[in-house]
Amino acid sequence: MDVNCFYASAERAFNPALEGKPVIVLSNNDGCAVTRSPEAKRLGIAMGEPWFKLRPRAKEWGLVALSSNYELYGDISARVMELLGRYSAWLEVYSIDEAFLGVKGEPDQLLALGREMKAACRRNVGVPVCVGIAPTKTLAKLANKWAKNNPAFGGVCRWESVPAEQREALMAKLSVIEIWGVATRLTKRLNAMGIFSILDLTRANPVAIRDKFSIVMMRTVLELQGTPCIPMEEERIGRDQLIFSRSFSTPIITTAGLRQVMSVYAQMASARLAKHDLQAKVLTAFAATSHFNPNEKSFPSVCLALPMPTADPVLLTRAAHALLPQVHEGVKYVRAGIMVTDLRPSGNQKPLELFENPHEERGIGILLEDVAKRYGRGSIGLGHAGIKGGPDWSMKRDMLSPRYTTHWDELPLVKAA
Amino acid sequence: MGVIVGPRVIDAGLSLVTALLAPVAVAAGYPSPAQDYFDGRIDLNEHLVKDVTSTFIVRVVGQSMEQAGISDGDELVVNRALEPKNGSVVIAVLDGELTIKRLRITPTGVILQADNPRFPDIEVPALSDLIIWGVATRCLHHV
Repeated sequence: MDVNCFYASAERAFNPALEGKPVIVLSNNDGCAVTRSPEAKRLGIAMGEPWFKLRPRAKEWGLVALSSNYELYGDISARVMELLGRYSAWLEVYSIDEAFLGVKGEPDQLLALGREMKAACRRNVGVPVCVGIAPTKTLAKLANKWAKNNPAFGGVCRWESVPAEQREALMAKLSVIEIWGVATRLTKRLNAMGIFSILDLTRANPVAIRDKFSIVMMRTVLELQGTPCIPMEEERIGRDQLIFSRSFSTPIITTAGLRQVMSVYAQMASARLAKHDLQAKVLTAFAATSHFNPNEKSFPSVCLALPMPTADPVLLTRAAHALLPQVHEGVKYVRAGIMVTDLRPSGNQKPLELFENPHEERGIGILLEDVAKRYGRGSIGLGHAGIKGGPDWSMKRDMLSPRYTTHWDELPLVKAA
Repeated sequence: MGVIVGPRVIDAGLSLVTALLAPVAVAAGYPSPAQDYFDGRIDLNEHLVKDVTSTFIVRVVGQSMEQAGISDGDELVVNRALEPKNGSVVIAVLDGELTIKRLRITPTGVILQADNPRFPDIEVPALSDLIIWGVATRCLHHV
């Protein structure tokens, strides 16, 4: 299951005036188009096209551009997933707008179930979805894509209900890049082996593919042939990294400014790690200048092994500050972030006392979290992270729609007239 | 895709004090005789929202439903999963706007009415000619 143009559809659910109009939703800081309604696609707007390039023609096109309303999308996504959970307990939420469901049944039952799910998402939550039904996840993704692009399916495609010749014709037409899980960088090597279309890959020898590529690619081949190899994941906890990265509304040109950014992200990472009972072993901090500014290029980055697995805000902040000596004063940085990797559950390895972290022992991280929980984010922070009056680099969302479902003072309005 | 901030779902209940709710026997002294009878305070969510996934809160702008007890500025609990019936107060999409009306289903057609004679009825041949966004189940009237 996949929600059609998710962000744009979530906006339309509460603002029906957007129906039929070209709508795009912009990335953080109103940077570039990350979701395009079909009408916007027909205007030739490309994925990732920067807003400053589109803005001059927006009026003439009747184009509606919206800032990312993450509060709304998060809630609508949760509602869709809750609803899907009613159809199968075997649900894997794959991303904010995609999920895999495990269902059993006769062909007709499965098609009927798919149509019912689609109708329920539309009626109960207000968003259009497409459903692809197949014996493997890879084929289900393909069927879903087909359902989305061919109106004849009415949004629900059961792979095996389509005559084999038609399936093969489709697979012969589509490049291997279109397959879920095949990295773009591998296509050249596949092409060198004479594998261009999905059909070519389906007919490849899985063992030869394993020897030339990896077990992952072999699984893809087997899945295309109809043998399930990629298991359903209940919850994607075993995630091995957390990233905190944003673009800034105004570029940062001072080391002091970046020091503040690093402090804020380190504390966000600490809070997230603590919430999931995780500790990180490695921290990467980075900053970058604009891709649209060829005259000024600076991409400082550091990767540090932390002295011990930790979620301690003090240690993470200190580590993130290791980036600062690489920062050039006066250069316009438009993006920065930190990433923590090599995550492990906290407390399963007691460090030698000598290496025990003095802050963790005193529970500083937990204290900060408690205060933040009771008095709100931004009520307490360490050192440079600052407290009041959001720093001027915080996210720009000038074209933000109301947060209809999460904020009492932003509820949808209904006209009584 | 950027960092997704987890949504804060509107909670009409009294979650702030939930932690303090249950009376607990004190180590020394007579245990509260009420303790065995305490099952938690009234939770408005439980009574006003039957289907959390499909329920949305909207705010009314305008006077056309005054006689139904729905005033300008009131909040409505709207369930999108409900089948609209004759007499339901519905949120319909009219000219791209969410509009509150009373639904009348007659043998000859479907009518969207305001509960105020000053506003004209809207008539269509069948229910399928309308986009019904949801059915209002409760009005949170400001007294």
